Amino acid sequence: MQKQGGGSEIEVTWEDQQNINKFGRLNNRFHEIEDEIRLAKEANENLEDASNELILTDEEMVRLQVGEVFVHTPREDVENKIEQMKEVTMKNLEKLEEEKDSVVAQMAELKKILYGKFNDSINLEED
Amino acid sequence: MDYSLSSSSSSSSGLVSERRGIPGASFVEDVQMYLHQLGLDVNSALAFLQERLQQYKLVEMKLLAQQRDLQAKIPDIEKCLDIVATLQAKKGTGEALVTDFEVSEGIYSRARIDDTGSVCLWLGANVMLEYTYEEANALLEKNLENAKASLEVLVDDLQFLRDQVTITQVTIARVYNWDVHQRRSKQVGTTVVGDS
Repeated sequence: MQKQGGGSEIEVTWEDQQNINKFGRLNNRFHEIEDEIRLAKEANENLEDASNELILTDEEMVRLQVGEVFVHTPREDVENKIEQMKEVTMKNLEKLEEEKDSVVAQMAELKKILYGKFNDSINLEED
Repeated sequence: MDYSLSSSSSSSSGLVSERRGIPGASFVEDVQMYLHQLGLDVNSALAFLQERLQQYKLVEMKLLAQQRDLQAKIPDIEKCLDIVATLQAKKGTGEALVTDFEVSEGIYSRARIDDTGSVCLWLGANVMLEYTYEEANALLEKNLENAKASLEVLVDDLQFLRDQVTITQVTIARVYNWDVHQRRSKQVGTTVVGDS
Protein backbone atom coordinates (compact mmCIF):
# COMPACT_ATOMS: atom_id res chain seq x y z
CA MET A 1 0.00 0.00 0.00
CA GLN A 2 2.99 2.22 -0.01
CA LYS A 3 4.45 4.15 -2.82
CA GLN A 4 7.59 2.35 -3.84
CA GLY A 5 10.89 4.15 -4.13
CA GLY A 6 11.95 4.17 -7.72
CA GLY A 7 12.89 7.67 -8.66
CA SER A 8 10.31 7.95 -11.40
CA GLU A 9 8.81 11.41 -11.65
CA ILE A 10 5.06 11.28 -11.69
CA GLU A 11 3.35 14.11 -9.93
CA VAL A 12 1.15 13.12 -7.02
CA THR A 13 -1.93 15.27 -6.64
CA TRP A 14 -4.18 15.74 -3.64
CA GLU A 15 -6.78 13.71 -5.48
CA ASP A 16 -4.33 10.82 -5.85
CA GLN A 17 -3.52 11.08 -2.17
CA GLN A 18 -7.20 10.91 -1.30
CA ASN A 19 -7.59 7.84 -3.47
CA ILE A 20 -4.63 6.20 -1.77
CA ASN A 21 -6.13 7.05 1.65
CA LYS A 22 -9.45 5.60 0.59
CA PHE A 23 -7.77 2.47 -0.63
CA GLY A 24 -6.00 2.14 2.70
CA ARG A 25 -9.25 2.49 4.61
CA LEU A 26 -10.99 -0.07 2.43
CA ASN A 27 -8.11 -2.47 2.81
CA ASN A 28 -8.36 -2.15 6.60
CA ARG A 29 -12.09 -2.65 6.54
CA PHE A 30 -11.62 -5.68 4.27
CA HIS A 31 -9.50 -7.41 6.91
CA GLU A 32 -11.94 -6.48 9.67
CA ILE A 33 -14.82 -7.93 7.67
CA GLU A 34 -12.90 -11.14 7.04
CA ASP A 35 -12.40 -11.52 10.80
CA GLU A 36 -16.03 -10.72 11.53
CA ILE A 37 -17.18 -13.24 8.93
CA ARG A 38 -14.96 -15.90 10.46
CA LEU A 39 -16.42 -15.20 13.92
CA ALA A 40 -19.99 -15.20 12.62
CA LYS A 41 -19.40 -18.53 10.90
CA GLU A 42 -17.97 -19.99 14.09
CA ALA A 43 -20.96 -18.77 16.09
CA ASN A 44 -23.26 -20.28 13.53
CA GLU A 45 -21.51 -23.64 13.67
CA ASN A 46 -21.68 -23.64 17.46
CA LEU A 47 -25.41 -23.00 17.36
CA GLU A 48 -25.79 -25.75 14.78
CA ASP A 49 -23.89 -28.17 17.04
CA ALA A 50 -26.00 -27.14 20.02
CA SER A 51 -29.29 -27.75 18.25
CA ASN A 52 -28.04 -31.13 17.02
CA GLU A 53 -27.13 -32.10 20.56
CA LEU A 54 -30.56 -31.02 21.75
CA ILE A 55 -32.20 -33.42 19.31
CA LEU A 56 -30.19 -36.29 20.78
CA THR A 57 -30.81 -35.55 24.43
CA ASP A 58 -33.83 -36.83 26.30
CA GLU A 59 -33.52 -34.46 29.20
CA GLU A 60 -36.47 -32.20 29.73
CA MET A 61 -34.46 -29.53 31.53
CA VAL A 62 -31.39 -28.17 29.82
CA ARG A 63 -28.77 -25.89 31.32
CA LEU A 64 -28.52 -22.83 29.15
CA GLN A 65 -25.69 -20.41 29.69
CA VAL A 66 -26.95 -16.88 30.23
CA GLY A 67 -24.33 -14.37 31.24
CA GLU A 68 -22.11 -16.17 33.73
CA VAL A 69 -24.54 -18.79 34.98
CA PHE A 70 -26.33 -21.85 33.63
CA VAL A 71 -30.07 -21.45 33.79
CA HIS A 72 -32.25 -24.56 34.00
CA THR A 73 -34.53 -24.12 31.04
CA PRO A 74 -37.16 -26.38 29.43
CA ARG A 75 -35.76 -28.00 26.29
CA GLU A 76 -38.42 -26.52 24.04
CA ASP A 77 -37.60 -22.96 25.12
CA VAL A 78 -33.95 -23.59 24.43
CA GLU A 79 -34.76 -24.93 20.97
CA ASN A 80 -36.71 -21.76 20.19
CA LYS A 81 -33.99 -19.57 21.55
CA ILE A 82 -31.33 -21.27 19.46
CA GLU A 83 -33.44 -20.90 16.33
CA GLN A 84 -33.76 -17.20 17.05
CA MET A 85 -30.05 -16.80 17.62
CA LYS A 86 -29.32 -18.70 14.41
CA GLU A 87 -31.52 -16.33 12.48
CA VAL A 88 -29.73 -13.31 13.92
CA THR A 89 -26.26 -14.67 13.08
CA MET A 90 -27.37 -15.69 9.59
CA LYS A 91 -28.66 -12.18 8.90
CA ASN A 92 -25.47 -10.70 10.27
CA LEU A 93 -23.41 -13.01 8.07
CA GLU A 94 -25.38 -12.02 4.98
CA LYS A 95 -24.87 -8.35 5.75
CA LEU A 96 -21.13 -8.88 6.15
CA GLU A 97 -20.84 -10.79 2.88
CA GLU A 98 -22.65 -7.97 1.12
CA GLU A 99 -20.35 -5.36 2.60
CA LYS A 100 -17.33 -7.44 1.64
CA ASP A 101 -18.46 -7.58 -1.97
CA SER A 102 -18.93 -3.83 -2.04
CA VAL A 103 -15.49 -3.22 -0.47
CA VAL A 104 -13.80 -5.56 -2.95
CA ALA A 105 -15.52 -3.82 -5.87
CA GLN A 106 -14.47 -0.36 -4.64
CA MET A 107 -10.90 -1.52 -4.16
CA ALA A 108 -10.79 -2.93 -7.69
CA GLU A 109 -12.05 0.41 -8.99
CA LEU A 110 -9.38 2.37 -7.10
CA LYS A 111 -6.69 -0.07 -8.24
CA LYS A 112 -7.65 0.62 -11.84
CA ILE A 113 -7.34 4.38 -11.30
CA LEU A 114 -4.11 4.30 -9.31
CA TYR A 115 -2.32 1.69 -11.42
CA GLY A 116 -3.54 3.58 -14.48
CA LYS A 117 -1.67 6.64 -13.32
CA PHE A 118 1.36 5.27 -11.48
CA ASN A 119 1.92 1.92 -13.22
CA ASP A 120 4.50 -0.01 -11.21
CA SER A 121 5.57 3.02 -9.16
CA ILE A 122 2.85 2.08 -6.72
CA ASN A 123 2.18 -1.25 -5.09
CA LEU A 124 -1.31 -1.96 -3.84
CA GLU A 125 -0.88 -5.68 -3.21
CA GLU A 126 -0.41 -7.35 0.15
CA ASP A 127 3.13 -8.54 0.94
CA MET B 1 12.70 25.68 12.85
CA ASP B 2 10.33 28.49 12.10
CA TYR B 3 6.94 27.47 13.37
CA SER B 4 4.93 30.11 11.62
CA LEU B 5 6.33 28.71 8.42
CA SER B 6 5.88 25.05 9.23
CA SER B 7 2.29 25.46 10.31
CA SER B 8 1.39 27.16 7.07
CA SER B 9 3.78 24.92 5.20
CA SER B 10 2.99 23.61 1.74
CA SER B 11 -0.08 24.28 -0.27
CA SER B 12 -2.42 21.76 1.24
CA SER B 13 -6.06 21.84 0.29
CA GLY B 14 -9.11 20.60 2.14
CA LEU B 15 -7.24 19.15 5.09
CA VAL B 16 -8.25 18.86 8.71
CA SER B 17 -5.53 20.36 10.85
CA GLU B 18 -6.19 18.17 13.87
CA ARG B 19 -8.65 15.77 15.40
CA ARG B 20 -8.81 15.19 19.13
CA GLY B 21 -5.18 16.07 19.63
CA ILE B 22 -3.91 14.13 16.62
CA PRO B 23 -2.14 16.58 14.33
CA GLY B 24 -3.07 16.34 10.69
CA ALA B 25 -0.40 15.55 8.13
CA SER B 26 -0.20 18.16 5.42
CA PHE B 27 -0.26 17.00 1.86
CA VAL B 28 2.74 18.17 -0.13
CA GLU B 29 1.98 19.46 -3.60
CA ASP B 30 5.54 20.22 -4.56
CA VAL B 31 8.46 18.57 -2.78
CA GLN B 32 10.97 21.27 -3.66
CA MET B 33 8.71 24.02 -2.35
CA TYR B 34 7.96 22.00 0.74
CA LEU B 35 11.63 21.60 1.60
CA HIS B 36 12.27 25.23 0.86
CA GLN B 37 9.42 26.37 3.09
CA LEU B 38 10.54 24.18 5.95
CA GLY B 39 14.10 25.27 5.41
CA LEU B 40 15.22 21.65 5.70
CA ASP B 41 17.49 19.51 3.60
CA VAL B 42 16.31 16.12 2.41
CA ASN B 43 17.79 14.14 5.28
CA SER B 44 16.39 16.32 8.04
CA ALA B 45 13.00 16.38 6.33
CA LEU B 46 13.01 12.59 6.12
CA ALA B 47 14.06 12.33 9.76
CA PHE B 48 11.28 14.72 10.76
CA LEU B 49 8.69 12.73 8.79
CA GLN B 50 9.91 9.42 10.17
CA GLU B 51 9.63 10.79 13.68
CA ARG B 52 6.10 11.96 12.96
CA LEU B 53 5.29 8.50 11.62
CA GLN B 54 6.56 6.89 14.81
CA GLN B 55 4.38 9.23 16.85
CA TYR B 56 1.37 8.27 14.77
CA LYS B 57 2.15 4.60 15.28
CA LEU B 58 2.29 5.13 19.03
CA VAL B 59 -1.10 6.85 19.05
CA GLU B 60 -2.47 4.07 16.84
CA MET B 61 -1.39 1.46 19.37
CA LYS B 62 -3.07 3.42 22.15
CA LEU B 63 -6.30 3.77 20.20
CA LEU B 64 -6.28 0.11 19.22
CA ALA B 65 -5.98 -0.87 22.89
CA GLN B 66 -8.95 1.37 23.70
CA GLN B 67 -10.88 -0.19 20.86
CA ARG B 68 -10.17 -3.70 22.15
CA ASP B 69 -11.37 -2.69 25.64
CA LEU B 70 -14.62 -1.30 24.30
CA GLN B 71 -15.14 -4.27 22.04
CA ALA B 72 -14.85 -6.51 25.09
CA LYS B 73 -17.10 -4.28 27.18
CA ILE B 74 -20.04 -4.38 24.78
CA PRO B 75 -20.62 -8.17 24.93
CA ASP B 76 -20.23 -7.95 28.72
CA ILE B 77 -23.08 -5.47 28.95
CA GLU B 78 -25.12 -7.58 26.55
CA LYS B 79 -24.60 -10.58 28.84
CA CYS B 80 -25.91 -8.58 31.78
CA LEU B 81 -28.95 -7.53 29.77
CA ASP B 82 -29.53 -11.17 28.88
CA ILE B 83 -29.64 -12.31 32.47
CA VAL B 84 -31.87 -9.41 33.54
CA ALA B 85 -34.25 -10.34 30.72
CA THR B 86 -34.21 -13.95 31.92
CA LEU B 87 -35.11 -12.84 35.44
CA GLN B 88 -37.76 -10.54 34.11
CA ALA B 89 -39.35 -13.36 32.10
CA LYS B 90 -39.80 -15.33 35.32
CA LYS B 91 -41.38 -12.41 37.11
CA GLY B 92 -44.90 -13.00 38.26
CA THR B 93 -44.82 -16.73 37.47
CA GLY B 94 -44.10 -17.50 41.11
CA GLU B 95 -41.45 -19.98 40.01
CA ALA B 96 -37.91 -19.59 41.18
CA LEU B 97 -35.12 -19.40 38.64
CA VAL B 98 -32.85 -22.42 39.10
CA THR B 99 -29.27 -21.91 38.02
CA ASP B 100 -25.90 -23.56 38.25
CA PHE B 101 -23.20 -21.06 38.97
CA GLU B 102 -19.46 -21.22 39.30
CA VAL B 103 -18.24 -21.01 42.89
CA SER B 104 -14.62 -21.32 42.05
CA GLU B 105 -12.89 -22.33 38.89
CA GLY B 106 -14.44 -25.60 37.73
CA ILE B 107 -16.65 -25.93 40.82
CA TYR B 108 -20.35 -25.33 40.39
CA SER B 109 -23.21 -25.09 42.82
CA ARG B 110 -26.94 -24.70 42.39
CA ALA B 111 -28.89 -21.61 43.31
CA ARG B 112 -32.59 -20.91 43.48
CA ILE B 113 -33.31 -17.29 42.73
CA ASP B 114 -36.70 -16.37 44.14
CA ASP B 115 -38.76 -13.83 42.33
CA THR B 116 -37.83 -10.78 44.36
CA GLY B 117 -38.30 -8.33 41.54
CA SER B 118 -34.89 -6.78 41.93
CA VAL B 119 -31.25 -7.24 41.02
CA CYS B 120 -28.08 -5.69 42.28
CA LEU B 121 -25.74 -4.05 39.81
CA TRP B 122 -22.08 -3.65 40.49
CA LEU B 123 -21.33 -0.01 39.76
CA GLY B 124 -17.62 -0.15 40.42
CA ALA B 125 -15.55 1.46 43.16
CA ASN B 126 -16.85 -1.20 45.58
CA VAL B 127 -20.42 -0.02 45.22
CA MET B 128 -23.37 -2.25 44.44
CA LEU B 129 -26.89 -0.93 44.12
CA GLU B 130 -30.24 -2.68 44.08
CA TYR B 131 -32.52 -1.97 41.13
CA THR B 132 -35.87 -3.18 39.89
CA TYR B 133 -35.64 -5.16 36.68
CA GLU B 134 -36.93 -2.22 34.68
CA GLU B 135 -34.42 0.19 36.20
CA ALA B 136 -31.57 -2.25 35.77
CA ASN B 137 -32.57 -2.78 32.18
CA ALA B 138 -32.72 0.94 31.49
CA LEU B 139 -29.35 1.54 33.09
CA LEU B 140 -27.68 -1.28 31.20
CA GLU B 141 -29.23 -0.16 27.93
CA LYS B 142 -27.86 3.29 28.51
CA ASN B 143 -24.41 1.91 29.25
CA LEU B 144 -24.59 -0.16 26.09
CA GLU B 145 -25.57 2.86 24.05
CA ASN B 146 -22.72 4.90 25.50
CA ALA B 147 -20.21 2.15 24.84
CA LYS B 148 -21.37 1.83 21.24
CA ALA B 149 -21.20 5.59 20.72
CA SER B 150 -17.67 5.72 22.16
CA LEU B 151 -16.64 2.88 19.88
CA GLU B 152 -17.98 4.74 16.87
CA VAL B 153 -16.00 7.87 17.73
CA LEU B 154 -12.92 5.76 18.30
CA VAL B 155 -13.27 4.05 14.92
CA ASP B 156 -13.50 7.49 13.29
CA ASP B 157 -10.40 8.62 15.18
CA LEU B 158 -8.54 5.56 13.96
CA GLN B 159 -9.59 6.20 10.39
CA PHE B 160 -8.41 9.78 10.61
CA LEU B 161 -5.13 8.63 12.10
CA ARG B 162 -4.58 6.04 9.39
CA ASP B 163 -5.17 8.65 6.71
CA GLN B 164 -2.45 10.77 8.31
CA VAL B 165 -0.15 7.74 8.40
CA THR B 166 -0.79 7.10 4.71
CA ILE B 167 -0.20 10.74 3.81
CA THR B 168 3.06 10.75 5.76
CA GLN B 169 4.22 7.51 4.15
CA VAL B 170 3.47 8.84 0.70
CA THR B 171 5.28 12.08 1.53
CA ILE B 172 8.35 10.16 2.71
CA ALA B 173 8.40 8.14 -0.51
CA ARG B 174 8.04 11.29 -2.58
CA VAL B 175 10.77 13.24 -0.77
CA TYR B 176 13.01 10.22 -1.17
CA ASN B 177 12.17 9.86 -4.86
CA TRP B 178 12.67 13.55 -5.43
CA ASP B 179 16.13 13.31 -3.87
CA VAL B 180 17.08 10.29 -5.99
CA HIS B 181 15.90 12.11 -9.07
CA GLN B 182 17.77 15.24 -8.06
CA ARG B 183 21.04 13.35 -7.60
CA ARG B 184 20.61 11.56 -10.88
CA SER B 185 20.15 14.76 -12.84
CA LYS B 186 23.14 16.27 -11.04
CA GLN B 187 25.24 13.29 -12.10
CA VAL B 188 24.12 13.73 -15.66
CA GLY B 189 24.87 17.41 -15.28
CA THR B 190 28.49 16.75 -14.34
CA THR B 191 29.16 14.35 -17.18
CA VAL B 192 27.23 16.17 -19.82
CA VAL B 193 28.23 19.79 -19.60
CA GLY B 194 25.54 22.27 -20.42
CA ASP B 195 22.70 20.38 -18.83
CA SER B 196 20.75 22.82 -16.74
